[in-house]
Amino acid sequence: MSAAVLAPPTTGTGTVFLRAAGAEWVRLRTVRTTWACLLAAAVVIVGLGAIAAADEAEGTATASNPVVSTFAGEYGVLLGQFGLLVLALLAVTQEYASGSIGPTLQWTPRRGVLLAARVVVPTVAVTVIGVLLALVADLVALLIDPELTLPLGDAVAGLARIAAVLVAGSLLAVGVGLLLRSTAAGLATVFLLQLVLPFLMQSFNVGWLADLAEWLPGTGAVRTLLGEPDSLSLGGALALLACWSVAAVAAGSWRLLRRDAG
Amino acid sequence: MIEVRGLTKHYGAVRAVDDLTFEVRPGKVTGFLGPNGAGKSTTMRMVLGLDRPSAGSALVAGRPFARLAEPLRTAGALLDAQAVHPGRSGRDHLRVAARANGIPLRRVDEVVDQVGLGPASRRRVKGYSLGMRQRLGIATALLGDPAVLLFDEPMNGLDLDGVRWIRRLVRQLADEGRTVLLSSHLMSEMEQTADHLVIIGRGRLIADASMAEVMRGEGAHRQVQVRTPSPDELAGALLRRQLRVHPTDIGDLLVEGASPETVGDVALEVGVAVHRLAEVQNSLEQIYLDLTGDSVQYRVAAEPEPAGTVQR
Repeated sequence: MSAAVLAPPTTGTGTVFLRAAGAEWVRLRTVRTTWACLLAAAVVIVGLGAIAAADEAEGTATASNPVVSTFAGEYGVLLGQFGLLVLALLAVTQEYASGSIGPTLQWTPRRGVLLAARVVVPTVAVTVIGVLLALVADLVALLIDPELTLPLGDAVAGLARIAAVLVAGSLLAVGVGLLLRSTAAGLATVFLLQLVLPFLMQSFNVGWLADLAEWLPGTGAVRTLLGEPDSLSLGGALALLACWSVAAVAAGSWRLLRRDAG
Repeated sequence: MIEVRGLTKHYGAVRAVDDLTFEVRPGKVTGFLGPNGAGKSTTMRMVLGLDRPSAGSALVAGRPFARLAEPLRTAGALLDAQAVHPGRSGRDHLRVAARANGIPLRRVDEVVDQVGLGPASRRRVKGYSLGMRQRLGIATALLGDPAVLLFDEPMNGLDLDGVRWIRRLVRQLADEGRTVLLSSHLMSEMEQTADHLVIIGRGRLIADASMAEVMRGEGAHRQVQVRTPSPDELAGALLRRQLRVHPTDIGDLLVEGASPETVGDVALEVGVAVHRLAEVQNSLEQIYLDLTGDSVQYRVAAEPEPAGTVQR
């Protein structure tokens, strides 16, 4: 037998990653939870956008003072993102609930590769779908209130900001899921950081609590989507989101790469 | 081939696996035996790179499993049949595995047929019985046509037909030249299935020997049964050689710690006829209990001796 026959076939890391990502994609598509989350996100994003547009139709937009319809998608994503974040979180934590992380790591034992696929696939899926739903909301708003406009430049800028919020939110959800390995703990953490705490801490009218709230990812997400509060610049908000994403993914990576499978 | 070298795992102060070294060779079914909590599953998890050893290493086909690019083509394993997403169909579960290892989808249909899952493979795993989940787990292990197979308690939850099926399957896999490591607490099944035994207790190696060697009961467990028309004469000769001899119910002699050769030679020396001479086949169950007796982790507390009988 020649050495060429004896040598194991070499499969490059790139190929292994593409296969792992393909497997993640099949995983996402083949459970009903994913579709339920998508349905919820679609209803909330497009529905809220439509309600916002209907409200706006009684408001200020006129031919001489046009209002851009991107607010529809932005308000929609403000709440509808949670359907998408739950999708990303469950993609990770359900594996620990069912124990199927064991088989997963038997099929892709190179944990760095699995980590990359596990972070990238839900993030890309959530972002692409969220942006498309926001676009639909913007277009539905145009139908509801013909006085609204949607210039290409504004549409792209609005959708880009939505994409940034969804990328950051997914990374936070995946990172927290990998770190905590529990659906309940993960949901609580993501909801608190992204939605509950930013609003709650500002509602007490206590200076230092409100200041602290400005450092939470939810505040950065709201600022990026709606332009409020104006004490935080868009660049600052994006930097804040980036920091939370990096921290969450780093913590989750440590747990996946360094600890027992679970 | 699986090589385990000095494998150790502790959780805090508890040593779940303690300096374990053994090899699992191809072409044989190797039984992995030990009481509950002995460290069988932890060992298998470390071999597959799921848990990180505290010390030591394990190689699968000469390489650490966690470095393999297409692991299912090298080693397939069924560790926990319940560890499947309940909302996914069995077939989709296999599709994910195939996708991750670059295995063509037709293999999915082949293994579904091979394990007899049939049309149930399109139903969600939520509705599967434990036996169906075991079959799905075995299908996953076979997907990449691997040279090494690890099964942790595969007969658990199977009916008699299922048990027979597994027994035939592992025999066939070993006969094809594959390495098969099979853990089970069902001694009687091991007796019928395994060629070689690795027995552990409290994380330590107790025995690593062929089934024949274990059954013969090496050393102190060795017994020879002999039938002779002059039992008193033969027993006397054997006793003079410091061998322990007991009469049996049917008038034969049971000689402990001796080989048939020794007993036959003694009979010839003293000129006694021998009508039957045989090694006693201990049941694996008894040998196993003898071997692991000291290492059962969750032993039921011994009955206190009745008052008044303590003589110390």
